Amino acid sequence: MFKNEEMEINLGPQHPSTHGVLRVKLRLDGETIKHCRPMIGYLHRGVEKICENKTYFQGQVWTDRMDYCSAIANNLGWAEANEKLFGITVPRRAQYIRTMLNEFNRLASHLVWLATHALDIGAMTVFLYTFREREDILDINEAFCGSRLTTTALRIGGLREDLPPGFEKLVHKFLAKFPDCLEEYENLLSENRIWKKRTVGVAKLNAEDAIALGVTGPMLRAAGVPYDIRKAFPYAAYAEMDFEIPTRTEADTYARYLVRLAEMRQSARIIQQCMDGMPEGPVMAKIPKILKAEVNEVYHATEAPKGEIGYYLVGEKGSPNPYRFHVRAPGFINLQSLPKMVEGSLLADIVAAIGTLDIVLGEIDR
Amino acid sequence: MSDANLPEVATGPFVYDYKAAPNRQITMPKSVPLPGFRAYVAEQEALVIAEEAKWQKQLADFEVAKAKAEAEGKDVPKAPVKAAVKKNDTDMVFPAPTEAKDADLLRLVEMLGEKVEEVFEQAGELTCQVGKDHILEALQLCRKDSQLKFEMLADQTGTHYPAATGFAFSVVYHLTSISRKKRLRLRILVPEGFEPESATQVYPSANWMEREIWDMLGIRFANHPDMVRILCPEDWEGHALRKDYPVVGWGQRDIDFREDRGGMLNRIAMEKAGQLGINLKRPKAE
Amino acid sequence: MPTPTLTQSVLIAILQAILVVVFIFVVVPLTLFAERKVLGYLQQRLGATRIAGTLTGLSGFLNRNMWKMGKIPMLSYWRGIPMLVGDVLKMILKEDILPTKADKFVFFIAPAISFVASVVVFAAISFVPGTLFTLPNWVPLIGGLPVAGAVGDVNVGLLWILGIASVGVYGIVLAGWASNSKYPLLGGLRSGAQIVSYEVPLTLSLLAPVVMSGSLQFGELSRSMAVGLPIWGAVPQFFGFFIYLTCGFAETNRMPFDMPEAENELVAGFHTEYSGMKFGFFYLAEYINMTVVAAIASAFFLGGPWLLPFGLQGLFNHFLSPHLPALLVTFLCEPHALFFVGKIIFLLFVYIWVRGTIPRYRYDQVMAVAWKYFIPLTLVNLMLAALVRYFAV
Repeated sequence: MFKNEEMEINLGPQHPSTHGVLRVKLRLDGETIKHCRPMIGYLHRGVEKICENKTYFQGQVWTDRMDYCSAIANNLGWAEANEKLFGITVPRRAQYIRTMLNEFNRLASHLVWLATHALDIGAMTVFLYTFREREDILDINEAFCGSRLTTTALRIGGLREDLPPGFEKLVHKFLAKFPDCLEEYENLLSENRIWKKRTVGVAKLNAEDAIALGVTGPMLRAAGVPYDIRKAFPYAAYAEMDFEIPTRTEADTYARYLVRLAEMRQSARIIQQCMDGMPEGPVMAKIPKILKAEVNEVYHATEAPKGEIGYYLVGEKGSPNPYRFHVRAPGFINLQSLPKMVEGSLLADIVAAIGTLDIVLGEIDR
Repeated sequence: MSDANLPEVATGPFVYDYKAAPNRQITMPKSVPLPGFRAYVAEQEALVIAEEAKWQKQLADFEVAKAKAEAEGKDVPKAPVKAAVKKNDTDMVFPAPTEAKDADLLRLVEMLGEKVEEVFEQAGELTCQVGKDHILEALQLCRKDSQLKFEMLADQTGTHYPAATGFAFSVVYHLTSISRKKRLRLRILVPEGFEPESATQVYPSANWMEREIWDMLGIRFANHPDMVRILCPEDWEGHALRKDYPVVGWGQRDIDFREDRGGMLNRIAMEKAGQLGINLKRPKAE
Repeated sequence: MPTPTLTQSVLIAILQAILVVVFIFVVVPLTLFAERKVLGYLQQRLGATRIAGTLTGLSGFLNRNMWKMGKIPMLSYWRGIPMLVGDVLKMILKEDILPTKADKFVFFIAPAISFVASVVVFAAISFVPGTLFTLPNWVPLIGGLPVAGAVGDVNVGLLWILGIASVGVYGIVLAGWASNSKYPLLGGLRSGAQIVSYEVPLTLSLLAPVVMSGSLQFGELSRSMAVGLPIWGAVPQFFGFFIYLTCGFAETNRMPFDMPEAENELVAGFHTEYSGMKFGFFYLAEYINMTVVAAIASAFFLGGPWLLPFGLQGLFNHFLSPHLPALLVTFLCEPHALFFVGKIIFLLFVYIWVRGTIPRYRYDQVMAVAWKYFIPLTLVNLMLAALVRYFAV
């Protein structure tokens, strides 16, 4: 009479907490997840194919639109991969400005993560508080390059323009108030009993599994592996910066939350150092108007807010287009670990798990 | 809108002539941009020989022209000048491939011996090309060997080389050693239809990346737990990142709204209505 | 005072019912409005806090210069009040979608059950003991008769309230089932389990006042809890209040217990497939339920129509009223419907406040809280109340 049936349910592709168009096929026993299979591709635009048919310069606008929450981090990886392909030396001032913008971008991305993650778990006030600070960062983006979200701020070989007058004032104003804002979020969440109940011990992924599944970024650092590309393979001006890699060993959702908050503090530190030690000089290397490659292939990885973003480029002799353009999207690889994290837990935990993964489907589907 | 202006119900399926569309024209690559030290050296040598031959030809031409002019009593043409090496006034220096000196590459050569096809360094990156049947062995070595210890498969992807002979694709594996802070690229060259061993047996992270390669390039992997398309739908035709695939696709999901909107939607509605047994057809105006 | 005939009693009851419905339809939209504004200020939302200029509302309306500038007709100068009208219009005018495979009758009846159950509860709620007001003599048929502070202050009032309120869950469960869709089903199941679980501590926490006052009649209960208690009667009341309020949050599916409609997990829970006015009924029912829970809390724990909460009114009346001027005594020591409504409004504000502050529990944690903590606590509280009753009254 009482049959113990499992129910199959589709979380997404239209669902409030799948951050876009992720679809997760779940098999539920009551509310317990027995089987989980993420299905992606609903936002597949063929960025790689398009970039192979554009010139080296034109690829940039497409990198903006992959992870639209961290456009500058995507640009930076792309620009550096191209510079490696052509052997371009970037002026030091440009490196510093890039580093600073990248850290601002990391802050913006982490703020969006905190906002959506908290909203998924039901704390809706943090959502609006973090967007208030993100607004200031977008204003800084706007002051630098005129656009706010998909910035296209960098160029192969450096930057299009130097910092605008009055930029320092904006940055200092932001840095003066940002620690207090972080404290405000922590007051709302860190010691909140419900928040801890929903996050501590939820969606665990230990270091061994994380490395085996290729998980990078804060997810890996929360498992106790101090792997940060900014330190391991320094790029831009990170070799000259003094900062720490925050790690935790609990490897759960709460640890990732703490790691990301600590990372925001470090980012503010790096921005301060960039402003203090900003060298003088040009911001653009001397490069020809049209880049034509030799036969070469590079894989360049940088630390995006979500993890390791890598660009694999193959140059064809005499051609202005890359022969092969491939993006190693951090979200794509990190999302693989979702079944590992949620199988056996409750339906509400998958929401926390998706939130803590910090995915942007534009990047995963490309 | 009167009845007379209503579009006619389209008969038969709508077929888009994709071959005629200008943005669907494909230009196939002529060269095989497969980086490698041996190929580079050979190319450079060929270049030097070609330069020399060209110079010799110029000299010979000059001699002929000179003799001809002297015979005809005209002005002697200027002697050819050897072209100076173009000065590099940019900040660009091409990172040429160099011989493998890194300990990791030497270790791989030592352990794998004949199975390694090529090792070289370029732009600070280590590349090791192994035989297509031995990739699993190489990956296992990289993962387990105490001197290599590449714990993480950061990225895996492939490239289509339609102009190449003997192979059609390269598959590259980017390995990262977190403890030693090193990167390594393994490469195999596979012909069309060949199924290399799946890396999931060594690195579980290869799961989705190999699915993506199958989806985008059409290389299947043997012993993969879940070899289905990942980004495109199951029934998609073709593999998008092949060089013979047009940028805008083959028209699988095309609806030309300018020409066919009314007809298309009408036809779908009629089909659905027919299945449900409803007569949607308008009575003809007398 | 003349004794009313049967006809007159029925007419007065109808008048009272109309008044209650008017009260509901004033309080609920105002709660919706307040929810936007209060959350807006809590979260520093730019829209909700800056919807109007400096001269807004009535002062702007009365300012001649504003009229001359032609700014009054602009809706934005009304502090977002037109949004309320828009909300109602939206709900009424929206297309009412019926899923193809839904159980049509149950799908139709579910919101009605929810809505009716929540409104009918008000019948037993006494706004003020005795007479609310006396009708003027010019009123035909019922002129000169008193209108009581409750539609029917029956002697099993509390049973009526708890019984009818628990019927409301049928609406939710049936809605989840009849939609023939997976998310509503999950929402309905969650809601059934949750509401049934929380009914136990909720009722137990209400039993403490019943034990202490020895009555089930709403008006009598509220009176004896406000003015008829010994000094340490405040202790069980105090704990009972917090447990009752928390269970009330769970019963009305509000944050942090909004499991059945947890939008980030279940899309919209049991009303995912509902639209138009059918959804509107669920929406209204939720807010009416909130008002009911707030009314019961304020009546039994916060002193109801008296000024002071937690049974302190009796002490106040006993010690201070001889020393106060007569006018103040009628104001501070007598029951007033205004105090009652004021407390309801305050509790409604608390609902919104909590929603803006804390995250959502997980489903199993919600159940654990009910069974592991609240039921033992309410039992202890009930025992305290029995001791108070035994030794002090």
